[in-house]
Amino acid sequence: MIKLENIEKYYANKGVKNYVLRHVTTQINKGEFVSIMGPSGAGKSTLLNIMGMLEEPTYGSYFFNEEDVTHLGERKKIELYRNHIGFVFQAYHLIDEMTVYENIEAPLLYKNVSSGERKSRIADLLDRFNIVAKKDLFPNQLSGGQQQLVGIARALAAQPAIILADEPTGNLQSVQAEEIMELFKKLNREDGITIVQVTHSEKNAGYGNRIITIEDGVIKEDLKIG
Amino acid sequence: MFKLNLKIALRNLWKNKGITAINIGGLAIALAAFVLVMLYFTYETSFDKENPNYDHVYIVGINYPEFKTDYAPAPFAVAIKQNFPEVDRVGLVKGSSFELTIKNGGNTLFTSKILTVDCNAAKILNINPSGGLVKPSGDAERLNYLSNESMKILFPDKKDNKPEIVGFGASNLGITGIIAGSIKNDPHSNFNFDGVSISNKLGNRDNYDMNDYTIYLQLKPGVNVLSLERKITDLYRAELLKNKVGGSKDELKGISTFLDPLSSLHLKPKAGNNTPYKILIAISVLGLLILLIACINFTNLSIAQATKRAKEVGVKKVMGAFRFQLITQFLIEIFMQCFAAIILALILAELVLPSFNTLFQVQLSIWHLGNDLFWQLPLILSVITLIAGIYPAIILSGFKPILVLKGNFSTSKQSYVLRNSLIVFQFSIAVVFMISLLIINSQLKYMRSQDLGFTADEVVYIKNISIFNDPLKFEPVREKILKIPGIKSATVATFVPSGQNGVNSYVANGIKANIDFVGVDFDYFETLDIKLKKGRFFSREFKTDTANSAVINESAMVKYGIKNPIGQTIRGCNIDYKIVGVVKDFKTQGFENIVQPTIYTIKEPCGGNKMQIMLKIEQKMMAGALATLKAQWSDINKQDGEDFRYLFLDEMYGKLFKKQEQLQTVFFAAALLTIFIAILGLFAFVKYITNVRIKEIALRKILGASNFQIMKLINSSFFVMVLIANLISWPLAYVLTKKWLSTFAYRIDMPVLPFMLSAVVTVLLTIITVSIQTNKAVKAKPVDALKYE
Repeated sequence: MIKLENIEKYYANKGVKNYVLRHVTTQINKGEFVSIMGPSGAGKSTLLNIMGMLEEPTYGSYFFNEEDVTHLGERKKIELYRNHIGFVFQAYHLIDEMTVYENIEAPLLYKNVSSGERKSRIADLLDRFNIVAKKDLFPNQLSGGQQQLVGIARALAAQPAIILADEPTGNLQSVQAEEIMELFKKLNREDGITIVQVTHSEKNAGYGNRIITIEDGVIKEDLKIG
Repeated sequence: MFKLNLKIALRNLWKNKGITAINIGGLAIALAAFVLVMLYFTYETSFDKENPNYDHVYIVGINYPEFKTDYAPAPFAVAIKQNFPEVDRVGLVKGSSFELTIKNGGNTLFTSKILTVDCNAAKILNINPSGGLVKPSGDAERLNYLSNESMKILFPDKKDNKPEIVGFGASNLGITGIIAGSIKNDPHSNFNFDGVSISNKLGNRDNYDMNDYTIYLQLKPGVNVLSLERKITDLYRAELLKNKVGGSKDELKGISTFLDPLSSLHLKPKAGNNTPYKILIAISVLGLLILLIACINFTNLSIAQATKRAKEVGVKKVMGAFRFQLITQFLIEIFMQCFAAIILALILAELVLPSFNTLFQVQLSIWHLGNDLFWQLPLILSVITLIAGIYPAIILSGFKPILVLKGNFSTSKQSYVLRNSLIVFQFSIAVVFMISLLIINSQLKYMRSQDLGFTADEVVYIKNISIFNDPLKFEPVREKILKIPGIKSATVATFVPSGQNGVNSYVANGIKANIDFVGVDFDYFETLDIKLKKGRFFSREFKTDTANSAVINESAMVKYGIKNPIGQTIRGCNIDYKIVGVVKDFKTQGFENIVQPTIYTIKEPCGGNKMQIMLKIEQKMMAGALATLKAQWSDINKQDGEDFRYLFLDEMYGKLFKKQEQLQTVFFAAALLTIFIAILGLFAFVKYITNVRIKEIALRKILGASNFQIMKLINSSFFVMVLIANLISWPLAYVLTKKWLSTFAYRIDMPVLPFMLSAVVTVLLTIITVSIQTNKAVKAKPVDALKYE
């Protein structure tokens, strides 16, 4: 599904190149649940951002579903976001002015999904995540864990093939974190959704079936588990 | 989607209620001002537009070396019609020079403006009696019509359109005439009248040396006006030469004619001044600027909120929103506010309209069919939405998601610069208005306090239809008037100060020049309290004074270069006048025009008629004297009879200040509004900024900053901006006000105080506004600000 070839990323500062990623070559297949691990500043997030096309690599090529997407126009990128990629953020990034229901609905609106279809899909998601009672609340009326649930529901609404999650439990207490990770595992197993997450925690990484460890911008280890 | 965006926009606005209200309120005020300006602009630029001949009507005016005039000799009209087939119609119009009283039983009408027109002119100017234009029979008959309003006064119950018999002048004179019907008088036209007298042909006995008609041409479509103008000039010179008027061939070279279109007659006639036009343009620019300042408030607030909105943009983009969808969303938000503002503005405008109408002496209204406003408003709405929304729409929607979502996003340096320059721009304009206002104030104050050279107080001007060209005829009238207690002196003249004088050609010291002339009677200078410079005033002791004595003013002395004027000869109107006195210049025509060289004579055969009676009455006895005059008037002046009408000269003179006083009011409103809207914007802006910086403020306090230091920190950047705004606007205001001042022949030196004062006022207002807002943030406990996150 994702193929990275010789990805390099550096920031030039007064002629000195600060490398964030070096010679990263890897492939993520459909149905995998990958955790990217490593110490702070190793380049985990940058790698995930490149996968999400939020950042462009300095060198190297990126293929998404066999298609070269290394340099893509904004419109094309957004088409991909609409149909194939779901994002989950550490800070949830829900829109404060929208209710839970509206937050989940937004991607469907952009995708021009019919109103009936929207209703059934959102109802389904609310039901599945046990947040039906919260659908008319605003984000600031929810706990962190609940907000992240909404964040994930929103990412799933457009029925993406892959979810990119940047420390999805970073701001959560352990009980809530476990809940979220269980949910990811279930989505991966039962719905076949490919998941790539960046995490600090060994325990969270354990929920997936592959761990990529990055240190100083280089892949140190690529381990299949479970 | 649209519905959702709308809903979110509403929630967003509601959340920032205070700021939203300020924004909408400021814009509504600016829009109300703009709506009024637009109404006024449309009104002023559409005089006579209802005339079907609007585009083809021209006035024939004459250029003399010294001045331009719309008055032309009547025979010239005939000549034009005979020579130029491209001229469709030629019409003659003459205004009335005195008031006429018309009576029907107990109903009295004082007409101040009777238009005398020929049939062609009536057709050209679209003057249609109700019941249609009827050709008078023969050359002598005149058909007299009254305006509908005048008709109502004389015949309140009249329903039909039948002719009526009325009395002219005092009832004891027994003069009657026929009113043929009524005509609608359109106040929105250059041709206002109380009545119209229509005849077949005018000026039959006139010669080329009598310029007392206005010639109107209706051209056939597609005529080259410039070439026609040249041809008419050639014709005019040829006609003058043929009729032996206006001097030699060489002298005629200095005389030419011009064609002035009907469309420029109201605002910028060639023979007249274009001050109304300039004022109109100034007012329009003011309206636009005020609106722009209010729009800037929107942009600035959008910039202030950018950090927060940016996150929304980033999230929406990764959820699949295209940029144009975000642009639409932002524009809808702004549009809703602008829409609310327009509704408010219409209400405001409606409330202010009565005072506006009084100020500009117009009858404007918002709610009438066919008002241009109905298509202008949607246009304005779209334009201000675009102006106010351009920043959020273009800049915010262009944010890259990654920058925003990483969490440490701050708006770029450019938007910081943009934000500050917009504030500077707002304040610059406000300062320009303020300085202008202060300078206008000083000039008007100067005009009110300055010595005019004559005293208009206590002088009463009496309207009269008797002609007193012969001093002997006025003497008995004067005697009777002076018997009334309190009346100090009485005189009669051809013209009153505050109005135009006559112009004629006089020769003295070998120089020929066109100068002003005024035909006067004894006691003229005494009544007006005019100062003597050399020689003497007119006096009954000198028999020659009624024959050929003249008094000139200082300007005339300079004009002719006469060193010792007393006893010198000045020739005009076929009389060799002997100069007996020189008076100091006095400002009869306000402060805009320089005092004209003027000659005052008792014998004045070729000027106007002496009909303007002026009395000097002691202030304390004014009421009694006026009452006695009214009671005795039919005895004193039989022709006027019971119709005693008077005006105070100082009020008449005050009318010369009218336009400038309007300008003063407009600038007062503009300065007030711009300052208010700019401060309002600043208030909202600072409120938002301090909310954002509340954490920074808390941290600084923990690090040991005193309240004063924090206030100073936040104030300083605004202080600098306002200072820069002042520096920018000073030269601008200097140039503009200098230009305005130069329209006055008598004016103040450029004062420094307004510049200083506006700087002090704006800086103070800014510091107060900023401090009120920051005070809250400063007073808050640091813990509260730092607890979350």
